[in-house]
Amino acid sequence: MSILGIIFSYSERENLRELTRMRTIGSLPMAGKFRIIDFPLSNFVNDGIYDVAVIARENYHSLMDHLGSGKEWDLMRKRGGLRVLTPYGKSESGRNGLYRGSIEALSNNMHSFRRSLADTVILVETSILHSMDFNYLAETHIESNADITAVYTRQLNGYPTVPMGVAILRFNEENRLYDLSINKDDMSCQDVCWSTGVYVINKSLLESLVADAMAYGKYDFNEDIVHRLAGNLNIQGYEYKGHLLEVSSVAGYMKANMNFLNPVFREKAFQKPIYTKSKDSVPARYFTGCQVKNSIISDGCRIEGTVENSIISRNVIIGKDAVVKNSIIMQNTEIMRGVHLNHVILDKDVIVRENRQLSGHVTYPVVVEKASII
Amino acid sequence: MSYGQKTEMVAMLLAGGQGSRLGILTKDVAKPAVPFGGKYRIIDFPLSNCINSGIDTIGVLTQYRPLELNAYIGSGQPWDLDRLYGGVFILPPYMDGKGGEWYKGTANAIYQNMNFIDLYDPEYVLILSGDHIYKMNYDLMLDYHKEKNADCTIAVIQVPWEEAGRFGVMTAASDGRILQFEEKPKEPKSNLASMGVYIFNWQKLREYLNKDEEDETSDNDFGKNVIPGMLHSGENLFAYEFKGYWKDVGTIQSLWEANMDTLDPNVPLELNDPPWRIYSRSSNMPPQYIGENASISNSSIADGCKIEGTIENSILFPGVTVEKGARVSNSILMHKVVVEEGACIGYTIVAPSAEIGRSAKIGASEGDMSGKVHDEITVVGEFVKVGEGVTVPAGVSVGEDIFGEEAGR
Repeated sequence: MSILGIIFSYSERENLRELTRMRTIGSLPMAGKFRIIDFPLSNFVNDGIYDVAVIARENYHSLMDHLGSGKEWDLMRKRGGLRVLTPYGKSESGRNGLYRGSIEALSNNMHSFRRSLADTVILVETSILHSMDFNYLAETHIESNADITAVYTRQLNGYPTVPMGVAILRFNEENRLYDLSINKDDMSCQDVCWSTGVYVINKSLLESLVADAMAYGKYDFNEDIVHRLAGNLNIQGYEYKGHLLEVSSVAGYMKANMNFLNPVFREKAFQKPIYTKSKDSVPARYFTGCQVKNSIISDGCRIEGTVENSIISRNVIIGKDAVVKNSIIMQNTEIMRGVHLNHVILDKDVIVRENRQLSGHVTYPVVVEKASII
Repeated sequence: MSYGQKTEMVAMLLAGGQGSRLGILTKDVAKPAVPFGGKYRIIDFPLSNCINSGIDTIGVLTQYRPLELNAYIGSGQPWDLDRLYGGVFILPPYMDGKGGEWYKGTANAIYQNMNFIDLYDPEYVLILSGDHIYKMNYDLMLDYHKEKNADCTIAVIQVPWEEAGRFGVMTAASDGRILQFEEKPKEPKSNLASMGVYIFNWQKLREYLNKDEEDETSDNDFGKNVIPGMLHSGENLFAYEFKGYWKDVGTIQSLWEANMDTLDPNVPLELNDPPWRIYSRSSNMPPQYIGENASISNSSIADGCKIEGTIENSILFPGVTVEKGARVSNSILMHKVVVEEGACIGYTIVAPSAEIGRSAKIGASEGDMSGKVHDEITVVGEFVKVGEGVTVPAGVSVGEDIFGEEAGR
C-alpha cells in the first residue's frame, strides 16, 4: 500500500472574517511560527508519506509563497513530493476556475492524482487540525474492506457545540455509515459523531466516483458521495480519539491558538516535529524590564513590554510599557510603547502607534487586518 | 579537468582545526561547529559572509572530528549553497596512487586540493578560516585587490598592542603595501593583525604552493611560510583594513565574551540585519514557551525553549529547559540543556544536552562580580549530568558526570 495525501488548503465553511480576506485558511499563522498547512503536511511526512497534493482555490498567493518547492517539509522529491494544484479556467464550467465544490476540485486535478504511484488516498481538510497516525488509519481501512473510511470524533474539546457546517455522521451497529447531515444551527449537539473531514479511499474508486458525480452535476463530496451513496458503498467509521482543534471561526481560531499554552497539549502536538518555512530570524530578544508570562514567543521578536497569555509570531516588536494580554500577534507587527491590547488578533505587518488601546472579548476578539496602521 | 565555465573567485574555508584551547567544548566537534550566538555555529559566519558577498563556490577543508560538521553543512541548502554549478563541498584529506596524507598545514591543505580549485578555473582564491565571528563583505576586498593590482591581499584589523603578539602582524606603507609580515612575534612592530582572510591570484598562489611543497623544511603554513616567501620574492602584497567587529573565539573566555557581545547594544555586532543575514540550519523546533513563573531580562532565547525560571544576561540555544526556581545569569546554555528546579548557574558555558540537577550551583554567582570583566568561566561538557545539589566552583571544566558533593576536575 502506498498513500497519496490530498489536502484542501481552503475551507468552504469557514468564517474567519478579515483573517482570510487576503489568504486561504491553509496559510493562516498558527501557534506562533507556523501556518495551518504545516500541521497536515508535517503529519504526512512524519508518517513517511512523501506524496502530497495541496488543492488551492483562491487567494493562494501567500500559500504558494509559504510552500515554495516543499523542501522545508522534505517534500522536494522526484518520486512524489509536494504538488500545489491551483485552479485553472475551464471553459465548459464558465466559472473561471472557482470550484463549485470539493468534487469539482478533485475532478479538475484528477490528472495529477492519476500520475501518482499511490493506490490509496487520504483526504484532509485544513479547518480541523489533529495529529493522526495515517499509516494505522490506512491499514484499518484496508483490513475493514471498506470502500471509504470516514474519520469522526465524538469530543468537543471544550467547544460548546459541534462546529457549524461540519458533517454529522451516523453509523449502524456494524460501524457502517447510513446517514450524514450538515450541522446548520448552533444547537448544542451532545454525543454525536462528527466528521474530521478525513477520508480514506482507494484511488481508482475515488476517480470513478468523482467522474460519476461530475456527470450528474453533483459537486459536494460529503453530500453527493458520502451521503447519497451510503446505501451502495461500504463506508466505515474510524474514531479519532486524540486532541483536535477546529479553526473555522474567529473564536475557534483564538481558542485553538490558546490551546498551545497548555503544556500537556503542547507536549503532544510537538511530539513529532512540525516543519515550516525557515525565516533565518535571530533568536528572540528580551530586554531589561520586560515581563512575559504564559506565552508563546517566536524567533526574531524584540520584547521590552509586558506579554501575558498570548501567542506571538516571528519578528514582532513590543515596545516599552506596552501590555499585550490574551492576544494573537502575527509576524512583523510592531506594537509601540504604552499600547494596551486585550483579546485582540493583529494580523501581519500591523503597526499600533504609541498609547493606543484595543480590547475585545473572549467570545469576540478584535481582528485587525493585515498591514493596518492604528 | 575543468567545467569549462569560469568562476571568478573560489573560497577555501579551513575548518580542520581542533581548537584545543576550547577544551571540552571541542572534544567531539571541530571548532567551526561550536555553537555560537543563540542558534548559530561559528562556521555560519564565514559561509553567510560568502553567500552575502556573492561567492557561491566554497570548499570546506575538514580534518579533525568532521562528522558533526559534515552533517551540519549537508547539501548547503540553509546557506543557499545547493547549486547546479558550484556550491559547498566538504574536502577531507584523501588517498591517491602515491599514498596520501593528512593536511600538514594550512598551505598543504590547499595544495592537496588544487584539483578542486582548478575545476572552477578561478581568477582568484579566497582563503578563510572557521575560527572567527565577523560580518564582512569579501566582494569589497576583491575590488581593493583588483584596484591595487595585488598578488595577495590580506585582511587586517587593528588589535590592542598587548594582544598583537597572538596574531600574524604586518607593517604596511600608507598605500597599503605590506612591508613586513611576522607570525606571532614576541615584540610586535605593529598592531595590524591578520584576520586569516586572504585573496590570492590563483595562478600566483599555485606557483608558491608548489614551491612550498618542494621545501622539506617548510611547515606548509600560510602565515609562517607562503606569505613570508611571497614577500621575500618581491610580490605585490597589500593589507586591506577591516573596520568592524571581528573576534577570534579560540578560547573559552573569548567565546563567552563574543556571545555576550551579541547582547550588548554598544558592540557593533548586530545579528538582526536582514540585508546581511547569518544563515544556519533550522532546528525545526516549536516556538519557545515562557511560563507563569519566568522572569527574563536582557537575554536571547531560541526556539523550543521552555522557561519557568529566572534568566538574566544569558543566551539560550534551541530546546533549553529551565525549571521553576532555577536561576541562570551571564551564561550560555547550548542546545537542549536542562536546568532543574532551584539550580543556579552563573558565568558558565553549558554544552549541548547537559543536565544540571536540582539545586546544583554552577560557576560564579552574580554577587561575586559586576560587568563583563570576568576571567573564570565555568564549562559543563556535552551530555554531562551534574547531580542534585552539586557545587561546581568558578573556572572549572566538568567533562564527566558528577554526583555527590565534590566538584569535577
